[in-house]
Amino acid sequence: MSPVVGLRPWPTQGFTRVPYWVYSDPQVYALEQARIFQGRSWHYLGLEAEVPEPGCYKTTYIGEQSVLLTRAEDGSLHAMLNRCAHRGNMVCREAFGQTKKLYCVYHAWSYKLNGELSHAAFQHGLRGEGGLPTDFKLAEHGLRQLRVATLCGLVFASFSAEVEPLEDWLGEVASGIRRVLHKPLKVLGYDTQRIHANWKAYHENPRDSYHANILHTFYGTFGLSRQSQESGMVLDQHGRHVYFFTKAGTEKTSADYQATASNLRSHNDALSLEDPSILKWQDEFGDGVSVQILTAYPSFVLHQIANSLATRQLLPKGPGQCDLVWTYFGFADDDEATTRRRLAQANLAGSAGLISVEDAAVCEMMHRAISDGASGESFIEMGGRELDSGGASKLSERAIRNFWHNYRQDMGL
Amino acid sequence: MPLISEQHFRSVENLVFEWARAIDENRVEAICELLVPQGRYTVTSRFNSDRGLPMAIIDCHSAAQLRDRIKSMRLANVYEPQHYRHLISGVQIVAAEHGLLEVRSNFVVVRTLELDGDIKLFASGQCQDRVDISQGEPRFVQRRFIYDSRAVETLMIIPL
Repeated sequence: MSPVVGLRPWPTQGFTRVPYWVYSDPQVYALEQARIFQGRSWHYLGLEAEVPEPGCYKTTYIGEQSVLLTRAEDGSLHAMLNRCAHRGNMVCREAFGQTKKLYCVYHAWSYKLNGELSHAAFQHGLRGEGGLPTDFKLAEHGLRQLRVATLCGLVFASFSAEVEPLEDWLGEVASGIRRVLHKPLKVLGYDTQRIHANWKAYHENPRDSYHANILHTFYGTFGLSRQSQESGMVLDQHGRHVYFFTKAGTEKTSADYQATASNLRSHNDALSLEDPSILKWQDEFGDGVSVQILTAYPSFVLHQIANSLATRQLLPKGPGQCDLVWTYFGFADDDEATTRRRLAQANLAGSAGLISVEDAAVCEMMHRAISDGASGESFIEMGGRELDSGGASKLSERAIRNFWHNYRQDMGL
Repeated sequence: MPLISEQHFRSVENLVFEWARAIDENRVEAICELLVPQGRYTVTSRFNSDRGLPMAIIDCHSAAQLRDRIKSMRLANVYEPQHYRHLISGVQIVAAEHGLLEVRSNFVVVRTLELDGDIKLFASGQCQDRVDISQGEPRFVQRRFIYDSRAVETLMIIPL
């Protein structure tokens, strides 16, 4: 990646420091769109279950680009820019739909479900007048196609012809996806959270296992996730992706834990639930893991919080805003009691989540404290100063150092 | 539909207003008294509701669960200090059966953040409520807030 002209230099300590201007600089933001969102990465678009039949489509985004996910007559999945090849109008305006063709209302250019142009209105003019040049070829004016790949019912797309196949790109972290998504899915609902902070502030958050049991009182108080429990962290070989897990009910107390926990606001003995049924969960994967948070670079999260399952898609909306789109789901063969449990535990996460409501608040508070864009840098040395230091301990910022390492490589910063 | 007396209408309207005023005056705990013990309180998006999707961002199956949520708000959760102002219109009783009234109303909630005074239209939508008038003072058996936008600004910690 060619170096960027006009930006200040990165602190000499490298990935253990992040200069605060990268969270607010418009030039950095524009480069991210080109080098990360349209660069060598895979981006989550949705679930196969959201486009179950031929003709089904979903409109979504990669970065700020409007993107269409379709299922063609033969059952194949396609992703393309939701932008007419003629004059750039948005082709589909519904979040979800089912259609025989993709039709641009502006000048009636219509496309097959795979994005190939099938018809341009008045291509040959009328009564010998008007019309497109005689050398116009439909085949050269389809919607801009993206690469598509699926894993366990998740659909990803990429602008890049060079990025490695999806499963190679996810590496070891794909095992965290396979663990949860082991059979066909059923969507339970959506939640979009509009966060007034830079997208990277949110992306760092679920990579940050250090904060989870400190900031989130609800986790610790009710034992769903505590630092004293058996836990771990898995990164892929490039450190782009990560997942953490914790096993409830595996308390291993120690003198140093007791000493620290007494100072954490997250162990709040005054908070007991009148109706604790919301916390009753079943070990449905049979491995004792009560919480698994998986983050794929640069914009995807899959969570299992007790029996609540959801994906989170991070959509940047300018340097100071992002949308976090939560898609809650269960399995197609869930019985009624299981669905009820998942819906009850949906109270724990999302825009009104008893556990996670803090995350958006912290991102915004951080954004306001650093967004002068002129001074300061973060300090990311929990667990050590190297990419692999901290090992599998959750008391480490290893996954954050690895994010910035990859980010700087992609950005040429 | 049997005739709804003016008195019924006034007491239902008052119940809807009481809920809003308790929240706006930061007496949030008081709303739990307006819901019968086994009542349901739900906040969901029109986006989910229109598609028949059952997930709701807030879903309390009892007054106790609503009390727990408010307790968490007071003791556990971290958020910027903020206040709501409810504007309510169009209260209507649209059906009545066995002492239960089906009630509709519109709401707009304006949210003000305390630190810098940011003020913003936070939510608009419709309430689909079921009110029990058979036991003296009317109480909600079901309160269902359906907000119009699919997006929530930052977070929803104070119940609507």
